[in-house]
Amino acid sequence: MTTVIRLEAVSKVYGQGEAEIHALRAINLVVAAGEYCAIMGASGSGKSTAMNIIGCLDRPSSGAYYLDGENVAGLSETQLAHIRNRKIGFVFQQFHLLPQLTALENVTLPLVYAGVAGRERLERAKQVLDQVGLSHRLDNRPNQLSGGQQQRVAIARAMVNQPLLLLADEPTGALDSRTSHEVMDLFAQLHSQGITIVMVTHEPDIARCSQRVIWFRDGQVIHDHLPPEEVGQVLFAL
Amino acid sequence: MDWSESVGMAVRTLSANRLRSVLTVLGIIIGNGAVIAMVGVGEGARRYATDQLQSLGTNLLFVVPGQENARRRGVEAPNTLTFEDAEAILRQVPTVDQVAPQITDSQLASYRARTTRTTLIGTTASYAPVQNFAVAAGRFFTDLDVERNSRVAVLGADLAEKLFGTKSPLGERVRFGSVSFQVIGVMEAKGAFLGSNRDDAAFIPISTMSNLIAGRRSPYGLSVGFISVSARDEESIEAAAFQITNLLRRRHKITLDDDFYIRTQKDAVAIASNVASALTIVLAATAAISLLVGGIGIMNIMLVSVTERTQEIGLRKAIGADPADILTQFLIEAVILAVVGGLLGTALGGATVILIGIYTPLETVVSLGSVLLAVSVSGGIGLIFGVVPARRAAALDPIVALRSA
Repeated sequence: MTTVIRLEAVSKVYGQGEAEIHALRAINLVVAAGEYCAIMGASGSGKSTAMNIIGCLDRPSSGAYYLDGENVAGLSETQLAHIRNRKIGFVFQQFHLLPQLTALENVTLPLVYAGVAGRERLERAKQVLDQVGLSHRLDNRPNQLSGGQQQRVAIARAMVNQPLLLLADEPTGALDSRTSHEVMDLFAQLHSQGITIVMVTHEPDIARCSQRVIWFRDGQVIHDHLPPEEVGQVLFAL
Repeated sequence: MDWSESVGMAVRTLSANRLRSVLTVLGIIIGNGAVIAMVGVGEGARRYATDQLQSLGTNLLFVVPGQENARRRGVEAPNTLTFEDAEAILRQVPTVDQVAPQITDSQLASYRARTTRTTLIGTTASYAPVQNFAVAAGRFFTDLDVERNSRVAVLGADLAEKLFGTKSPLGERVRFGSVSFQVIGVMEAKGAFLGSNRDDAAFIPISTMSNLIAGRRSPYGLSVGFISVSARDEESIEAAAFQITNLLRRRHKITLDDDFYIRTQKDAVAIASNVASALTIVLAATAAISLLVGGIGIMNIMLVSVTERTQEIGLRKAIGADPADILTQFLIEAVILAVVGGLLGTALGGATVILIGIYTPLETVVSLGSVLLAVSVSGGIGLIFGVVPARRAAALDPIVALRSA
């Protein structure tokens, strides 16, 4: 099985001198292709920093990060933008759809930056919106869609460029429990198609949908291959 | 990402915020409109001035007494230019066609109970042909009238109307000062020009003028205000000016500085044209300042826009926009705002210029050059003032940008 994510002794330090904050302390982490992981941990545990580094939004202070076999730790901002565009799909808690664009246009956006021609863009975007069950909502703007629909548009946008890795930051944080489960069903479906998923969540319910829970505390990974059923016990122990 | 893509995206963003976009470009609209209007008016004034001067005839020269560039000195030099000089020029300079010396004085003109102040010009019969000035009714006075000291007058069109209304003045008697004259003609209307309105003047024989109204005899002869000379044709103006200078130097026994100078019609056209061009530059520069202020307005709003759209910028970066994409996007927005403002301003300025052309005697023009200049200048202003906001947007950290909920 190929490795999608490999963090080797990755540290992240913010600030200098007295005000130094060690957000990550030499963590090692390997995620193989096709895995479905949940990252958990209290706020300030370093899970967000880890997600930013995995998502190529941030660079480690030290250590190496291999994404799909390539060390991205030393790449320029422009090169990182290119990698985010081609290899990673992002899903955010607040959806982050552009309000002035329709659902279809929002989904085509990554393809615009990938330099895909106009007609092909529309074809591919329609196809992905169809997969998430929104082919009847192409021309609606975000404010005409429910929260669950908006998040599905965001997932379509994340998937449209056929990324290697889907990164979700609290994907159900702004949704009620019923729509949360719809989104989780969609994740399960994408996972069954072979995509690697890493999501940050603080809800044990949602973490239970994954196969592997990675637990952060004080900038370190304290549980790596935690079976999702045992999340409750860990929470109780803390 | 290619250009049409970026432009389309910018247009969508700007039209999503229509009111703000319109308010943002208002400064550019006004600035650009002002530049176009001012340049149009200035250019119109220049044409008007040169046309008026051209209409006097292009083979015209003026011999003026005194030293050039020294007319405002404390002690006034005696006026040595005389009627006899004029006659000598006509007789002795071969390139000269006709000569019209003139004495000018301000007098009260009255007909029955009506009185008005007028410019009284004493001259010779050659005045009308030399100045390219024709009689509308009656006749101009002749050499014989000048010889005989006839008390006859030709009225300018405005003066005739002031004194006589719609009635024909021909054959009537008017008084200039205390002297009574018979009206024998009325001139065509020529329009006011550079502060002197010859339509509001009256013309009488120079002999009558000097004997009865305002003549000054110096030891040299009968002083005149200036002498209008027409050369045989346009090409002989230079030669005529040279020959007149030589003649007058001999006659006035000049060894050092001349006590007269010669202005050709071409000089006058050039001076008027230069004055009008300078005026145009001053007007345009003033208007350009408002264009600059408009540019600052764009920068201001774009900076606000960057702050407001922090999340959008973060999202775009997360899904693959590199800093250059973001920079281009904001620059294009600024340039589009400025160019659209420039075009609207041009339309506004053009309309103003056309209206001014309709309601004033100025022959205003909207030149393609000034339109292109204005639009490219506003585009450039958008580019320049867009750089700061665009760089700020491009430099945003996507993590921070996404977190700012």
